[in-house]
Amino acid sequence: MIRLENVTKSYSTEVTALRDANFDIAKGEFVFMVGPSGSGKSTMLRLMNRQERPEKGAVWVAGRNINDMPDSKVPHLRRNIGNIFQDYKLLANKTVFENIAFALEVIGKPRHVIRQQVPAVLELVGLGGKQERFPHQLSGGEQQRVSIARAFVNRPLILLADEPTGNLDPATGEGIMRLLDRINKTGTTVVMATHDQRIVNMMRKRVIQFDRGVIVRDQARGVYE
Amino acid sequence: MISRIRYTFREMWASLSRNLTLTAAAVITSTVSLFLFGGTLLIQRAFDNQLKKWTGGVEMIVYVNHGATPDKVELIRKALLAETSTVETVDYCDETCSAGIAATLFATDPGALEQLLPNIPSLFKVKPVDTSSSALLRSLKTQFESLPSVHSVETPDEAVDLLSQLKDFFGVRTLVLSVVLLGASALLIWNTIRTAMFARRREIEVMKLVGATNWFIRLPFMLEGLLQGIVGATMGSAALLFVNDNWTSGVRGFPDNSGLKSFVVTDGFPLWVCFWMVILGAFVGAVGSATAASRFLDV
Repeated sequence: MIRLENVTKSYSTEVTALRDANFDIAKGEFVFMVGPSGSGKSTMLRLMNRQERPEKGAVWVAGRNINDMPDSKVPHLRRNIGNIFQDYKLLANKTVFENIAFALEVIGKPRHVIRQQVPAVLELVGLGGKQERFPHQLSGGEQQRVSIARAFVNRPLILLADEPTGNLDPATGEGIMRLLDRINKTGTTVVMATHDQRIVNMMRKRVIQFDRGVIVRDQARGVYE
Repeated sequence: MISRIRYTFREMWASLSRNLTLTAAAVITSTVSLFLFGGTLLIQRAFDNQLKKWTGGVEMIVYVNHGATPDKVELIRKALLAETSTVETVDYCDETCSAGIAATLFATDPGALEQLLPNIPSLFKVKPVDTSSSALLRSLKTQFESLPSVHSVETPDEAVDLLSQLKDFFGVRTLVLSVVLLGASALLIWNTIRTAMFARRREIEVMKLVGATNWFIRLPFMLEGLLQGIVGATMGSAALLFVNDNWTSGVRGFPDNSGLKSFVVTDGFPLWVCFWMVILGAFVGAVGSATAASRFLDV
């Protein structure tokens, strides 16, 4: 599903975010990217949805080298990739329903499809009766669930999560991880950047560890070291 | 398709109402600049009308010495009629006819009339072919003054010169001013769109991440700029028609000999100008917003 071949990404001559990274992620895998701040985890996620381009190497997503992809095709690539963020990135002036519907609306989905899919995904993330609430009326965990619902409503092949539990208490974080695990079990590939040791150790999924832009460990059913 | 159109218009309206003061500033600048632009065209047309009216009635007066014999008068007539390429008509007004004209002109000044009548000259009214060229009028004047028994030649070349000068003076300056203001309104629309995009940067970021195309994101902003340009042009056009009507009815009340009665535009020209103002407003709005929307939207 995702393959990196000798990928190097620098932001300046002094800052190399990634150096010669190589790995394969199969369809339906759940992978943690771990490492301290500035180790290259977030850059890796940004390379996977073409927010960034590497200086060297190739990034393959769903069988296509996305570095060579023309800009006009990037939106179509992104429709197959859901994004979850630490700060949720919800639109404060829209209700829960509107936040999720927005993601479908801007890719041209008709109204009847939106009316059908949004309530279904809200049920999936456990926010059935809260579709008319605004983000500020929800807890942090609930806001992250809305963010997950928005990322998953279009049934993407891949979910990229950048520190999704970073702003949550441990119990709420666990709930979010259970939700991501359920989504992963539907066949969606999940790639999650985190430095939440407890969660990585609890999930026992594949772990790719970064240190100053270099992959130092790639371990199946790994733990945080 | 319908959902996209609905979305585009909804977002355009939301953006317009969110940036109300900036939108108002952009619309007002477009209104003023396009009003000036249209005004320039109308002023130039009014000068043309006035010039046409003046030059349409332009006659050179060739005064013949008092007491000139019929032979000498006939010689002058022949010399004038020989200028077929430059002279259209020649009418003779003998001393009795001249006295009649003088009596009308000096009706309120009997003293001057009394002094004039004993030596009153006869005259030829000469209508040149091209009455708008003051250079031609001057050259004819020099030529006719050299004819024997000609006392003097009067031409309205200075008045024609003055009107042409006024037309150039106002025309160039108002055109430059309106072009500068048009540029300012394009910049202001550009800035409004840029601010609107900045205010909605989070939405745009989300839209890009969920796979909205750049055109889909841009379109409401471009329509917003287009609308600002069109509204500004429509308001400018309405103001121009109002001012033109007001001016025309005001000038109608002037006396016939004021020389300004034709300084108006009364045909379909103002509507034609308004049509082009709206096209220009739409163009300026679209260009300003399209540039801003393209510049601040990376993939």
